[in-house]
Amino acid sequence: MIVTDADQPDNPILFANDAFLRLTGYGREEVIGRNCRFLQGADTDPVQVARIRAAIEAGQDIAAEVVNYRKDGSTFWNALYVSPVRGEDGAVSYFFATQLDVSDKRKAEQTLTDSRHDLEQLVAERTSELTQALEQKTALLHEVDHRVKNNLQLISSLLLLQNRRVSDPAVKAALRGMLDRVSAIATVHRRLFQSDDVARFDVSAFVRDLVADVIGASGREDIAFSLDLERVDVAASKAAPLALVINELLSNTLRHAFPGGRPGRIFVGINRIDEAFRIEITDDGVGVDSSTRLSGFGFTIVQLLCQQLKARFESTDASPGTRVVIDLPVDVAP
Amino acid sequence: MNDQPLGVLIIEDEVLLATELEFLLEEAGCCSVGHAMSSHEAVTLARDLKPDLALIDVHLCDGPTGVDVARRIQDDCGAVALFMTANVKRLPEDFAGACGVIGKPYSSHGVKTALGYLSICMREGHAPGPPPIALTLSPQYLALWGLLDMPRAG
Repeated sequence: MIVTDADQPDNPILFANDAFLRLTGYGREEVIGRNCRFLQGADTDPVQVARIRAAIEAGQDIAAEVVNYRKDGSTFWNALYVSPVRGEDGAVSYFFATQLDVSDKRKAEQTLTDSRHDLEQLVAERTSELTQALEQKTALLHEVDHRVKNNLQLISSLLLLQNRRVSDPAVKAALRGMLDRVSAIATVHRRLFQSDDVARFDVSAFVRDLVADVIGASGREDIAFSLDLERVDVAASKAAPLALVINELLSNTLRHAFPGGRPGRIFVGINRIDEAFRIEITDDGVGVDSSTRLSGFGFTIVQLLCQQLKARFESTDASPGTRVVIDLPVDVAP
Repeated sequence: MNDQPLGVLIIEDEVLLATELEFLLEEAGCCSVGHAMSSHEAVTLARDLKPDLALIDVHLCDGPTGVDVARRIQDDCGAVALFMTANVKRLPEDFAGACGVIGKPYSSHGVKTALGYLSICMREGHAPGPPPIALTLSPQYLALWGLLDMPRAG
């Protein structure tokens, strides 16, 4: 603490206590009679100094934090508080100034600022890296998606071209069967990246596409179909096997249920029952006999894929016609 | 336009796809007038053959030039452009002036239905109903063929 004499020119120090001397390292005789600007140095902020000077000239209180210099040249952060002491006439006769060494606080603040700055920079760098990585992955996903679709188109074209060349009905039927299977997978891939969630697959939308395509391609305008599709999502990894199963059952119904131009109806339904969902294909065709049951390779595909999907497959007499039901456990969303 | 079959130019860098597509075109009652594999070839053939419709893949053998080809062909010879691409999402919002897109992988039935539908639209100047599932029309052609008031097919 010091007291300065406002009546003398340049406001010299009149009194300094021991704490002030300990803080600054000066002897009493070295400070009495001097203006306290001797504590300032190169690192002292001139803006703060100007603030203090202005307050003193205006006779007002001022609090400021400045870098001050000890006698040995070392620095400390000084939290300064100066207040004028007025005489009976109201004029300022003295200034009373307290000093507090806040170097530790300042240092802690600086460290905090520095580390926050470092951290912010680190976060910015990492964000930029991740953004770039994400962009690359998205581009890669699009590229792979594009290639898969083009290759499926290529496979379809190959099968179609060969189918045009062969005349043996058995070979034609086999090629047609394979083409339908590839088309079912193609329908999956056309749908797969349409939603924002690339991990889920909307079965009902797929079935709508598939039914339109399979029945449309059959040219059987005498077969009416109706749909009752509840929206059910499955994991994208299950989409292709499920599509193959549905394709197999639907193709089989079309092939066998309505022989000799017999007209009829096909119903396809999807609904959710507790922890499973049910796909149902019912026709009013010629019914279950040896000729309408899934046979050969198609049946093997359905059996194997139901095993893979942990699904239950059942074919019953619907008199008239046949009712095929697949119960598939609903998987927990990833 | 009269009842003559649509003259169609195929712009596709995969020869097997293009060959099969030619068969499909004939089956759909269209007439294939030629096949181009690069953007340069496409623009030249379109100028010489004056097709009614150009089926355009976005990726050609000289890169992703299909969008540019669509614009140039329409400007040069007034053909209607239709994209056939696996990258439907990457098409510009205005479809570069094309009438629409068939997404790959397409099915034979899907393409035939779409071409049959387009033949009617182009002949009549308006649509007979909502477009088939395989075909997505551009906003411009939805308006042109009077489909803005009609509900879209699911």
